[in-house]
Amino acid sequence: MADYSIIDHRMKSATGEPPAARLVLIVLALSFLAVFLFVPLAAVLAGALRDGLSAYFKALAEPDSLAAIRLTLFAAAIAVPLNLVFGVAAAWAIAKFDFAGKSVLTALIDLPFAVSPVISGLIYVLLFGLQGTLGPWLAERDIKIVFAVPGIVLATVFVSFPFVARELIPLMQEQGAEEEEAARVLGASGFQTFWRVTLPNVKWGLLYGIILCNARAMGEFGAVSVVSGHIRGSTNTLPLHAEILYNEYNFSAAFAVASLLVLLALATLAAKKLVEWKSRQSAGEPG
Amino acid sequence: MSIEARGITKKFGGYTALKDVCFRAETGELVALLGPSGSGKTTLLRILAGLEIPDAGEILIHGEDAARRNVRDRRVGFVFQHYALFRHMTVFENVAFGLRVRPRKLRQPERDIRAKVHDLLKLVQLDWLAGSYPSQLSGGQRQRVALARALAVEPKLLLLDEPFGALDAKIRQELRRWLRRLHDELHVTSVFVTHDQEEALEVADRVAVMNNGQVEQAGTPDEVYRRPANPFVYNFLGNANFFRGRIHRGLARIGAIEIEAPEHANAQDCPAVGYVRPHDIEIDRILSGKTAIEAVVRRVRAFGPLVRLELVRRDNGEPIEAELSAERFESLKLREGERAFVKPRNLRLFLNKPE
Amino acid sequence: MTIRLKRHSVLPGFGLALGYTLLYLSLIALVPLSGIFFKTAAMNWDEFWNTATAPRALASYRLSFGAALAGALINAVFGPLVAWVLARYHFPGKRVVDALVDLPFALPTAVSGLALAAVFSANGWIGRFLEPLGIKVAFTPLGVVVALTFIGLPFVVRSLCPVLEDLEKDVEEAAASLGANRLQIFWRVILPSLRPALLTGFSLAFARAVGEYGSVIFIAGNMPMVSEIAPLLIVTKLEQYDYAGATAIAAVMLVASFLLLLIVNLLQWRSSQKTA
Repeated sequence: MADYSIIDHRMKSATGEPPAARLVLIVLALSFLAVFLFVPLAAVLAGALRDGLSAYFKALAEPDSLAAIRLTLFAAAIAVPLNLVFGVAAAWAIAKFDFAGKSVLTALIDLPFAVSPVISGLIYVLLFGLQGTLGPWLAERDIKIVFAVPGIVLATVFVSFPFVARELIPLMQEQGAEEEEAARVLGASGFQTFWRVTLPNVKWGLLYGIILCNARAMGEFGAVSVVSGHIRGSTNTLPLHAEILYNEYNFSAAFAVASLLVLLALATLAAKKLVEWKSRQSAGEPG
Repeated sequence: MSIEARGITKKFGGYTALKDVCFRAETGELVALLGPSGSGKTTLLRILAGLEIPDAGEILIHGEDAARRNVRDRRVGFVFQHYALFRHMTVFENVAFGLRVRPRKLRQPERDIRAKVHDLLKLVQLDWLAGSYPSQLSGGQRQRVALARALAVEPKLLLLDEPFGALDAKIRQELRRWLRRLHDELHVTSVFVTHDQEEALEVADRVAVMNNGQVEQAGTPDEVYRRPANPFVYNFLGNANFFRGRIHRGLARIGAIEIEAPEHANAQDCPAVGYVRPHDIEIDRILSGKTAIEAVVRRVRAFGPLVRLELVRRDNGEPIEAELSAERFESLKLREGERAFVKPRNLRLFLNKPE
Repeated sequence: MTIRLKRHSVLPGFGLALGYTLLYLSLIALVPLSGIFFKTAAMNWDEFWNTATAPRALASYRLSFGAALAGALINAVFGPLVAWVLARYHFPGKRVVDALVDLPFALPTAVSGLALAAVFSANGWIGRFLEPLGIKVAFTPLGVVVALTFIGLPFVVRSLCPVLEDLEKDVEEAAASLGANRLQIFWRVILPSLRPALLTGFSLAFARAVGEYGSVIFIAGNMPMVSEIAPLLIVTKLEQYDYAGATAIAAVMLVASFLLLLIVNLLQWRSSQKTA
């Protein structure tokens, strides 16, 4: 199927570049990508395995590393379902209805993209920290939010909330409301319409949104760093743990932890490709 | 079951889609809503279905106000312009959908549903495609699936939005004859929207011609075609020549011709326009009597049983289009550039300012 | 007549969906975010001004915005090249390359930072070749630019790819039939139609880079006045329990980011008016 020759059918047409020019452009693009993407990626994996496989697994089996893995999974396990429900609700309201203030709402959903991760963490410190608005009240009742697990979860929820909504809104807008109207005319209830018509139509986009949301939830650094307090074995997520190890000049362990996150990223990219392929397939060739 | 719309007005933002529209379809009738795009016909259809809520006016279903009945309980079948088939369901599942989403106590057993869906698919001649997905079907097949799906819930009223709009000319013709036969079999009160006058006139029992959010005229195809209520209806239903003239006390003067116009007996020297279909233009080489307009043949298009002539009036240079049978054309032996005398038949006169 | 805020629809669940969306958004984002402005408002003006315009703060803004601009500009040159190659040419391994372009999206920023620091340090895989040439990347402002280029790349490439794929070939063919050569076609026909998407990608990359933290701090060296970015200054102040100082700098950055977004939206709106 795919034609893996540099000189393809376009070559002779009036609108193609000569083969030499093509080659130069491809080499130039790939060199740029190599310097900025491929070499650093390889460096992480090489750094992780520098002291051999057994050292690699030993670094990962450290109690502090395991605690960091657990906390990362825990935060994602709360943030992803919450943001899934939010994303579906927001996409339903925005994509299927016309109402005043819709564009403002759409813009607000992008808020975490516009705000520095550090500021995303700062807002929770200002609200729940000891000097914060609710700080004294919480301290009286001995509730700890920032520099504790709840703060990490909150920051994770904040930075990952747009992803599901952002995937679903354009998809659902493009599909319009006609199939849902047809379902209603045929007597389906609101819930039946959503469950049997809307959801199956967007399932691949939804899955992709969840994957992205999860990747961000597990990988967030800046926001979580601000609210974490960096207590080893207790409020360290995987990215924070990698930083601590790196700052302690324990490079191979730092890269071992980082390599887990690289695998997560690669799995995310592979899942993205798979979902793209699947959704193209299920859309079928309109004829 | 009959359906009636009374004084329907609908605005979208600042745009008025329907202005005080009245419309009625009797039990068992097949009615066409005919009009150019933007005339409000689809909006009216969606209001009949309960998909839109009018700003003013009421919908009566079998004489009963339907305002409080939402779209689920109206028991209408709606066929969408682009079919709106559920793309992730097979043909069978699409048709079965309406039966399967019924509340549990009203739902038929699955065996009955299967039997019914198969009957319906047979009715639309698609039982062999039951396991296919919409993306695998042709346009005409999708259309028939959409119809079977709408019929599955045994609607008392069937509404179709541009049912043949997205199809090739040949399939269009086949499908509309088939729809007519199906209607004669099932006798479900049906309303369909179209912008194609030929389609409306050929298929429907009655036609409502719409323009600018209003119903211009409603009647049988013969009535609207032969006695159009106004210039818009006349123009929309077919090709037209128009002749400017004046009417005074029931007598119209157009160029050299004088024609009785008893319907305008009160007109006092009013400017008027007479409309004539191309096939109602009589052509002669010689002047017989005084009542003809002199013209020059500019172009002849002779193929098939009808010959189309383009002529230009000698007196004011306005074009005239005429259609005559091939035999008549043979006997006239007219060529391009020659002189001819034109006599309009069945002239339909409208005053320039409506009374 | 009542003013209706929502058009009628037969679909259900609008109130529930919108209500939940607004509630969630308020609790998670709007209320906490507004805290920054309440906190800022509680400071007196001199105090705020002195903190926000201290030399160290000014240096950090210059670095954050300057390096973000430089990174976005580099991407504005190489991003179209990558997008072009990916959209138009076939070569072995293209699919893998295509997938990896999104890596900066998917890779946790801390990992990007570690990786870049390792590669560009004096004995790193790339750094060891640059060092003899007198080019120091790691622990200098140049390192910040490298990190921010990395972060912004997919924004530019992914904004351009769909446009390049949708570009009607017949327009290029028409230009060729009218006698334009390949370079003229690119310059006069293709580039103008890419401009809105390029602007979008550029501004997204820029906006993202301004606030970036994780990928920068490992490679930057973080020397006050030299290679300290504004987000890091916020963190430093927080670690010293200087909440007011952190808030002041955050407020400046927020306002700057929103102004930038506003300008970009305005530019996009204007260029879409032109092509519409």
